[in-house]
Parts: sequence; C-alpha cells; structure tokens
Amino acid sequence: MIDSEQHPYVEWIAREARRPVVTDPVARERLMAAIRAEPAPTTRVPFWRRVVEPRALLLSPATMGLLAAGLVGIGVVAGGLAMNRDGRSVDQPRVGVAPQLPVSDTVVRFVLVAPQAETVSLVGDFNGWDSTRTPMARAASNGVWTVTLPLSVGRHVYSFLVDGKWSVDPNAPLAPDDGFGHANSVRIVRKGSAL
Amino acid sequence: MPLHRPPRFAFGLSLAALVALAAIRPAAGQDAAPVDRMVKLDQYNRAAVELMFDSAATLGLPVSYLRSVVYEGIEKHADNRAIVRAVRKQFDLLKTARATLGAIDSGELSGAAAVLYAGARPNQLHSFRVQQKSQNRLEAFTVWADLLTRGVPAEDAFTGIEKLWADGADDATFLRLWKNVQSDILQGLNPGTALQNRIRETPVRASPQTVKPPEGQQENQSSR
Repeated sequence: MIDSEQHPYVEWIAREARRPVVTDPVARERLMAAIRAEPAPTTRVPFWRRVVEPRALLLSPATMGLLAAGLVGIGVVAGGLAMNRDGRSVDQPRVGVAPQLPVSDTVVRFVLVAPQAETVSLVGDFNGWDSTRTPMARAASNGVWTVTLPLSVGRHVYSFLVDGKWSVDPNAPLAPDDGFGHANSVRIVRKGSAL
Repeated sequence: MPLHRPPRFAFGLSLAALVALAAIRPAAGQDAAPVDRMVKLDQYNRAAVELMFDSAATLGLPVSYLRSVVYEGIEKHADNRAIVRAVRKQFDLLKTARATLGAIDSGELSGAAAVLYAGARPNQLHSFRVQQKSQNRLEAFTVWADLLTRGVPAEDAFTGIEKLWADGADDATFLRLWKNVQSDILQGLNPGTALQNRIRETPVRASPQTVKPPEGQQENQSSR
C-alpha cells in the first residue's frame, strides 16, 4: 500500500470517483436524441487514393488457381482472336508479310546451267523476292541447277541469284527492268503440272 | 492482417499473368515468324507505299503485284526512293491498263502493265480488248514485253503481236514466235528484222475458233 492511499484527501477523491453518477433519465434521453440527430461523421477518401492505396486481400489457393486459369483462358482466347485463319497475326501490317509459297497443284521446275557457280537461288514474286527461301540444288556432274516448287496459276516474275549476281533465265521471256537495274524473267503457269 | 499475405497474392497474380502471356506468344509465333521486310523502308517511304497499296486495293488492282515490286527493290538493295518510284510507276501503269482493257484478271493486268513499262503506248492495248475463244492475253503480252525488252522497235513489236492476235493466234503460236526471235537475236540478227522475218513465216489461222490446243501442249508451254 502506498502512502497516498492513506491520505484522507486522496481517499475522498477516490471515493468520489468511484461513486456512480446518477443522471436525470429525461436529460439523458434528450442528450442521446440530440446525439442521434447529429449526422454521422464521414471520412471521404478521394477516389484516386482508394484506387492507388495498397490494400490487403486474402485469397484461398483455390480462388487463386481459378483466377490463374481465367487469365490463361483470356490469353488463349485473345491469342486466337489475334490470328487470321492462315495463322498470321492480325496486327502485322498487311504489306509487311512475306508471302508464303502458294499452295497449288501446279508444280514447276526451274533449271539453270551454271557449271562454275557456287550457289544459285531462285528469287521471285512467289517467294517474296527472298533469296534465302528457294536455294537451287546442283546436279553432281553437269553443273545443272534445279529446283521444283508448286506455283499458283498466273504470271510469275523471277530471277536467279548466281553467286550474288542477278541473272535472267535464258529459257524464259524477259520482263522489263522495274527500275532496279536488272531485267527479270517471266514464267506463265497454267493449271496442271508444268514440269 | 498478416503482412505476408499480399506478397504471396502478388506473386500468384504475376505468375498467372506470365502464364497468360506465354499462352499468347506461342500462338503469335506459329507462323514461322514471317519477316516484315517492309521495315527496311524508312517511315516516310513506307507510308507512301502503303498509301498506294490501299489505293490499289480500293480500285481493285492487284496489290500483290505492287508488293512484289517493293520486295524486289529491297532484295536488289535499291534506294528507298527508287522503290517508291517503281511502285508508283507500276501503280499508274496498272490503272492505265485497267482503263484501257476493262476488267481482266490480275495476271493479264500485270502483263499489260509490263508491256506499257517496256515501251508500248496505252492506245496500242486497245486492240487486245477483243479476245477470241481460245486466246489468252497473258502469253501475247509476255512475248510483246520480251520483244520490247530485247530491243525490237516499239512499232514493229506492236504491229507483229497485234497482227497475230487479230489472226487468232494461240499461246503456242506466240511461244513459238518468241523462241524463234530469241534464237535469231542470239545468233546476231537485228531484233526488229528477226521479228519481221518470223512474223512473215507464221501461218495465218484459217479458223480462229479452232485454236484451243490440246492439254499436253498447254503443259509444254508452261514448261518451256
């Protein structure tokens, strides 16, 4: 026990503090009514703060799994929508797509006699003028380079790239130089095999 | 609230997002990644070319033909401006050919553009509006463009090809003419003279209605 508790003044204060407060019931009711009538204080948080402010979320593993599966599903659907039927991405510019070799029942053989050549490629509108796409194969003995490929029916303009130099096909009509310094050759493909 | 929960959730969400992205990217790459060769054009020239492509598509002209010119220019390391010039030239020629010949297929149209490019005049194409049963303009235009490219005078080439066409010459006749003239030129004969000689030798058809060649012959034409 401390000394202060024995002091009569302290005792009096303590007694007064412990004494239950008796209030007038009418006055108390009036006070509560006034309190109830007061609008509840609202803490208006700005929208951006509600969006930006971090908040903790609790998710069960099952919910998280479902969420992940949903995102994967969205990805698959979006991937499917982003593709054309031929498998090309829609967002790729039309003009920038290197054309594929056309599917055709007309098979055409190109032949070039170049015994001294090291590499020969067939380059034309059917392979997007890409010299890497249609290399020609050399016969072991006679220096004849050939390649066989399906072409769509119609007019095709092409050239041979022989050791890095452009060369026309001596067995095909010429097409005028498009302005790039080299004439081309023309092959007309009709329905059926053109071998 | 335990503080370790949010990081775990964020990790899970990130993982799910990565999986979703992975699901998209393989789908986009299924096309063996066709290379966008147009990126070799600078922005300004590319826009100019694409504008012409759109105009051609609107007019029903073969955009693939113009696109091929771009690719050819890129592959031949042509200057950007030269590529745009070439595309514009071909675009104009396609329009002229379409205006002259009407609605013909894209192969014939590109063949006609090649003839014009080689030096023929637009009004000379008028003779080829009328087509007999078995005739195909494609072979006639191809041989015509070849003759012009080999140096046959424009008027001689037109006269010779136009005569054969009016006589109802078929593909085989044009092909034979081309082979003979080419052979003569390779032997040193003047191109114009070679053509005139060979035109004189070419028999005039008695009945243009019977010109359709047998199937085998057609295949041989393509095989050259």
